[in-house]
Amino acid sequence: MVEIHLSVPDINLNRLEQEPIHTSGKVQPHGVIFALEEPDLKIVQVSTNTFNIFGVYPQDILGKTLEEIFDPFQIEAIKQGIASDNLDFINSSKLWARIKGDDYVVFDGVFHRNADGLLILELEPAFSQENIPFLSFYHLARTSINQLEKTANLRDFCQIIVKEVRKLTGFDRVMLYKFDEENHGDVIAEEKLESMESYLGLHYPESDIPAPARRLFSANYIRLIPDAKVKPVQLFPIENPITQQPLDLTLSILRSASPCHLEYLHNMGVASSLTISLIKDDQLWGLIACHHQTPKYVSYELRKACEFLGRVIFSELSAREETEDYDYRMKLTYIQSMLVDYMSSEENFVNGLVGREPNLLDLTNSQGAAVCFGGNCTVIGKTPTEEDLNYLVQWLQNNINEEIFYTDSLPRLYSDAEKFKEVASGLLAIPISKRNYVLWFRPEVIQTVNWGGDPNKAYETTHAEGNVRLSPRKSFELWKETVRLKSLPWKQVEIKAALELRKAIINIVLRQADELAQLAQDLERSNAELKKFAYVASHDLQEPLNQVANYVQLLEMRYRDRLDEDAQEFIGYTVEGVSLMQTLIDDVLAYSKVDMQGAEFAFTDAETALEKAIANLRGRIAESGARITRDRLPTVMADGTQLMQLFQNLVGNAIKFRSENPPEIQISAQRTEDAWVFSVKDNGIGIDPQFFERIFVIFQRLHTRDEYSGTGMGLAICKKIVECHRGRIWVESELGKGATFYFTVPVGGRDGDRRNTRKAQNYLFSRGQ
Amino acid sequence: MAIAEIQGRPKTIFLVEDNKADIRLIEEAFKNSAMPHRMVTVRTGTDAMAYLRREGEYANAQRPDLILLDLNLPRKDGREILAEIKSDPNLRRIPVVVLTTSRNEDDIFHSYDSNVNCYITKSRNLEELFKIVKGIEEFWLQTVILPSE
Repeated sequence: MVEIHLSVPDINLNRLEQEPIHTSGKVQPHGVIFALEEPDLKIVQVSTNTFNIFGVYPQDILGKTLEEIFDPFQIEAIKQGIASDNLDFINSSKLWARIKGDDYVVFDGVFHRNADGLLILELEPAFSQENIPFLSFYHLARTSINQLEKTANLRDFCQIIVKEVRKLTGFDRVMLYKFDEENHGDVIAEEKLESMESYLGLHYPESDIPAPARRLFSANYIRLIPDAKVKPVQLFPIENPITQQPLDLTLSILRSASPCHLEYLHNMGVASSLTISLIKDDQLWGLIACHHQTPKYVSYELRKACEFLGRVIFSELSAREETEDYDYRMKLTYIQSMLVDYMSSEENFVNGLVGREPNLLDLTNSQGAAVCFGGNCTVIGKTPTEEDLNYLVQWLQNNINEEIFYTDSLPRLYSDAEKFKEVASGLLAIPISKRNYVLWFRPEVIQTVNWGGDPNKAYETTHAEGNVRLSPRKSFELWKETVRLKSLPWKQVEIKAALELRKAIINIVLRQADELAQLAQDLERSNAELKKFAYVASHDLQEPLNQVANYVQLLEMRYRDRLDEDAQEFIGYTVEGVSLMQTLIDDVLAYSKVDMQGAEFAFTDAETALEKAIANLRGRIAESGARITRDRLPTVMADGTQLMQLFQNLVGNAIKFRSENPPEIQISAQRTEDAWVFSVKDNGIGIDPQFFERIFVIFQRLHTRDEYSGTGMGLAICKKIVECHRGRIWVESELGKGATFYFTVPVGGRDGDRRNTRKAQNYLFSRGQ
Repeated sequence: MAIAEIQGRPKTIFLVEDNKADIRLIEEAFKNSAMPHRMVTVRTGTDAMAYLRREGEYANAQRPDLILLDLNLPRKDGREILAEIKSDPNLRRIPVVVLTTSRNEDDIFHSYDSNVNCYITKSRNLEELFKIVKGIEEFWLQTVILPSE
């Protein structure tokens, strides 16, 4: 959370964190530990304090079996428990040992197997000769839970836990200590002697309970240090004869605490402590820490009762904590489903995220958000500038590989963020793909943290006997720190909601890509169908038509002499009709082909295209006496055949719609910024401006066929050719004053233009990369 | 011309065409010819191959001097027949004229790729059609020299 500048070199701290507490080979002197060899339960290792407790030296105990120390009838029951492999049934067992004559000492015996599979027996002096009956547990738990049900919030809950534990154990101070995400701890509940200074609300640095200690707390739920001042005792021999290694004491109840921890307790004025682990989802959630100013022993049963209480109450607490989140989670789920709906209904999903209510901001309770997609950032609320966003996205690209990234202190990780800390000290980011992100921002919130002692001086170095040694701080006085460059933290439910949204966005982006691909496929299919139709038109439709034409002609040829004038006329109309139909089919086919042949774009000399068109029209030119002049024409990016067809239709029309004077046709070209403008000017009958649009529509004619032949397809084909080149066609004319047809061909041709179009269409894809 | 006269036998024209009206029209066109000829007509692609390979009822079929082939035929179309004829060592030397309504570029390319001898579209004008048939007859039956088989 807050950066702690420790005043000692990192290497020392590392060593401290790696301190092998569990293999120290030392135990607390109030009890005795035996490492046993099965099946005889022969003692192979023992703590060196046996004389103080049994009056027997350790070397006299080694090699003996348990039966030789305790009465065989006691051990018989234990052996059965060990055989059944459930040590809980024999923990704890009262064991009597004879010291001198009829002088007996009673112990609570607790068995466990360590990580190496060795059986270990630990003996603690028993204060009562009876086990605490089950009913006592029950009453304890029930009373507490009854009270818990009446409380509303987490704090009150924790307060009850510490109160009950203190009542049960009589410690001077009982605290409930909760770890945050960075393993610093907060005291969230406390019960204590009135005379003592309160630690409630204080914040303790991570190093107060370093990683190895936290691991031990996760394995061993209850730890008692009855007297922090006494010297620990060694095991004898130091190495276990079976494993040839120091005994693994992770699960030992007698294991001595690390010297550093003992010193820490001492500095705090604590003479004895009891620690109960609170585990949630397999994580160390917190601790119940009990402190006493004088040495204090708590029996095994009572400790177990506390553990039981802690567990029962804590499970209740976890459930309660989850319910507190529940309403908020439901709300976020609702917002998320709305956003998914909006995204699906919008053409561009980004609009669905920012355009309506609720929006992106509501999903994570942020003050600003940005969707950075395809090089564009769409923002909502208070965000850094676009330039800053671009740099931030670059930084994320280079540094973040996870599917979600969040921090409540962005400037600490990315120093450039300091200049926009007012809007974005907190950042929650989800990558949609490599270059595309959704970002949420939270502003700086200046906070005051009450540390239990200066966290910058959590450890000190001391020089003793020429060695540099780390020791914990001596002062636990309240140390206030003002925390800057931090936002309110992101809640787990908000992070989960963001992750869910990420999935939804990815699905939508993928689906939209799929739909585009489907559309392209459909177009391809319909294009193929059109081609097929064109073929049908060219063949299957023409065949019967040819048949009619041919046979009517055969009839006329063969029976001319026997037919009267009416019959001849009727045959004439039939032939005419069929011939028109044939022309129409040809023209429709030509019209439909314009697009299909559009593929062959190349640098085409417009002069060559025009010459070919004129050559095709030579009969009509000669017949009408037309005079055709042209300027120099450019080379353009076009389909040569289509350009020729275009000139042929326009020049052909100029000839067809001539006035009484012989046609004079002028073809020119002028360059504009991005296109060539071609013109075909004639001195023909002209066109009434009201028909300027209509003449380009398929099958639209302004004259009867008796006046001018034709299918009404010529200019429609021209328009299609021009459009296929991404150009424009139009006419300027007045009735009786000739007409000028203009068309444009873009410089760089259709290809250059098509690239832009494709870019626009594939916007989504390119953003998705 | 000389060879035909020496051999003295009428030329066999093999017409593969499904449309009765077209068959009749082509027959009419050939009627104008002074040259002795025999016209054999089949209306499906499978019959065409059976005839050429002298299978079944066509065991005694006369080897044609010219094949007039429509492209769109039932069962087996003209494109397949053309390919089969031109890849058959016994048949590939018989001149094949595709006579079709199709002006489709693909058909034209495809036919020449299959080694058609020439590709002609049926005219919509009767007089022209008669001219075309006359041209075919003069060129393929009287002008060109073909191996005698």
